Amino acid sequence: MKRRDCLKLFAGAAAGPLMAPALITPARAANRYARFAGKTIVVNWPAHPHYDAAAQFIPEFTKLTGIKVELDKMQYMRMHDKQLLEMSKPQSDYDAIAMLGMWKTEYVKKGLLAPLEPMMANADLADPGYDLQDIVPAYLSNIGMVGGPKGYLPGPGAKLYALPFGTETSIMAYRADILDQYGFAPPQSYAELLAMVGPLHDKAKIGAVTSRGQSGHQTTHAFLLHLNPLGGRVFDDAWNPAFVSEAGIGAVDVLRTVVETGPQGIPSFGFGEMENAFLLGQAAIYIDTIAIIGDVKNPKKSRVDGKVRYALHPKGARYSAESGGFGLAIPARSQNAEAAFLFLQWITSRAQDVAIALGGGVAMRNSTLANPDVLKKYPEYSVLKEQLKHTDPDWRPIIPEWGRIDEQILGVKINEALIGSATSKAALEACVAPIVDVMKQGGYIKA
Amino acid sequence: MKQILDRLSPYFLAGPAVLVIGVACLYPTLMAVRLSFYKWSLGDPWSSAQWLGLSAFRQALTDPAVLHSLIVTVVFAAIVVSAEMVIGTALALLMERQVAGISLFRTIFIMPMMVAPIVVGMIWRYVFDTQFGPANALLTALGLPAQSWLANPSLAFLAVVVSDIWQWTPFVIIMVLAGLQNLDQSALEAAQIDGATPRQVILRVKLPMLMPVLVITALMRLIDAFRVLEVIFALTFGGPGSATEVLPLHIYKTAFVGQQLGYASAISVLLLVVVFALSLATLALSNPLKDPRQ
Repeated sequence: MKRRDCLKLFAGAAAGPLMAPALITPARAANRYARFAGKTIVVNWPAHPHYDAAAQFIPEFTKLTGIKVELDKMQYMRMHDKQLLEMSKPQSDYDAIAMLGMWKTEYVKKGLLAPLEPMMANADLADPGYDLQDIVPAYLSNIGMVGGPKGYLPGPGAKLYALPFGTETSIMAYRADILDQYGFAPPQSYAELLAMVGPLHDKAKIGAVTSRGQSGHQTTHAFLLHLNPLGGRVFDDAWNPAFVSEAGIGAVDVLRTVVETGPQGIPSFGFGEMENAFLLGQAAIYIDTIAIIGDVKNPKKSRVDGKVRYALHPKGARYSAESGGFGLAIPARSQNAEAAFLFLQWITSRAQDVAIALGGGVAMRNSTLANPDVLKKYPEYSVLKEQLKHTDPDWRPIIPEWGRIDEQILGVKINEALIGSATSKAALEACVAPIVDVMKQGGYIKA
Repeated sequence: MKQILDRLSPYFLAGPAVLVIGVACLYPTLMAVRLSFYKWSLGDPWSSAQWLGLSAFRQALTDPAVLHSLIVTVVFAAIVVSAEMVIGTALALLMERQVAGISLFRTIFIMPMMVAPIVVGMIWRYVFDTQFGPANALLTALGLPAQSWLANPSLAFLAVVVSDIWQWTPFVIIMVLAGLQNLDQSALEAAQIDGATPRQVILRVKLPMLMPVLVITALMRLIDAFRVLEVIFALTFGGPGSATEVLPLHIYKTAFVGQQLGYASAISVLLLVVVFALSLATLALSNPLKDPRQ
């Protein structure tokens, strides 16, 4: 989907807030927060670099509005079932949640999330300065929109359920000092990448590329990271598995090479281990989420500050990058939905996006990516701006059944290929029948 | 009147405990059995649940992933319970001796049992971390190659076994120590007077007298080993591949990742049946509650 199309589609969603200034009196704007003063909202919050950076600004929100914010912080892969439990109650204990974009369709299908447009159109709540169209369209599509022809992307019938916050785009970070020392140029294509990882590993005595690889979601994530640039898809247009292809087998082969030449233990790596291998100098190249930018500069986490440069995710059959990550949403049964909306609106505003980006978080607004202060502190954002031109919001199917396919089928079988228990092709072929079963049960394929 | 009160008093005394057990244990179990007949996922209204009858049980009995997880669980339980019983009993026999500093040792030895299982998983994940873990640091110091502990099926299985033994051997120690302190001292003295060596006292007198305690302890550990979840959840999450995916973890993933709560409940009921059968078999071998005169 082109950026222009996205903007058109979001125009409807944005119309409410954009029209709001005409309806709002100054007194109304001044009193937006007054009736919520003293309330406490509970927000389910992940342990994640962006959210760590954002949490330091929350006292400012409380000072401005009188609304107290209680964070229920947890490891992000453990949030899904906790959120389902909490949001299923007649009255949700969470007033707002941070959720991965891949959970959105399941939550909406079950009626667990409140659509945001009605609140954005409510003159008593909406900030007239809030600029929805400034949010990077790929993030808004991937994280926020549910409905439309595909069910998880913009289009007729799609509604906004979440605001991007803690977004991710895959880029490449590399140790410029090591590549320079051993005479390697940063790889611009998969062919160059695959040609250099072996010699780099042998010469520099360091893991070439770090990667996620733990059985389940982490392995699937790593597979999809390479599948899309290599020209592959998980499903064809009729929802039949399409990954047993040259691109699919190639993506698993890339991962196997990465495991062989990377830091030891990749098939057990979650995000933390993968990132630490790079930050602590055990790997020369990192291809994953943009969250690395802030962490490289964090002296508590990193030993490589000043040695890292950034480049586009290497090109395969096409330039491509994952886009997605976290968004903030409001449970349908939230007890303080309006106060929670004010929090979402404030923390995803232009001003806060800049503040959080400067504090080590990830920018999700075009204006932030063009902000001189941000670019001065993080010149790496120029790479992100370029990378965002090549993002594909449809790099994975965000259907309610995706969790099962991702965690229990693809992630397990491909992991077996990574540890040498199966060939790349055999591992992918073993996924087809169970995935077809899931798709039949979901009604995507006729039984 | 007094006779009636006397007759009713056991019910009054046992009633609250029965009620608590009924609510806390029986009700969830019955709900799980009920759920196993339906197709339902968390977050959906119960009114949308679809009756499936026994089909979830039929599916579970032929599901290769369930059978694989069951085999992993049985092998895991057999190894850890055997190892914990042998090591725990041996350490308890050592700790029984009244030597200087033994109280301190006892305290240290039982500490792992007090740590929350999820924390145990995190501790051992760090210990077996390929890049920065003490296990590989030790190997390197000894001049041996570092290992990808959690990325190799056999080593990952070894890691979960070691972590379970580390955590639950203290339980065996406590149970056996308690049993040793309650042994009939006259029997031990008689054996010594008859000239039994320390080894003979242990093998011929103490262990046979401890048998009821050992059986109960093994049974409790066996049931626990079949329910192990948190440590493996944090340590390997069932990987690599599905090499350490024990049945409770498979049930967890089926319920909360796959959102198949009915199917997960059916597998849980099958697990319950397996554990019940194993418990009966253990008790059939040696039932500590049975009157020895019978």
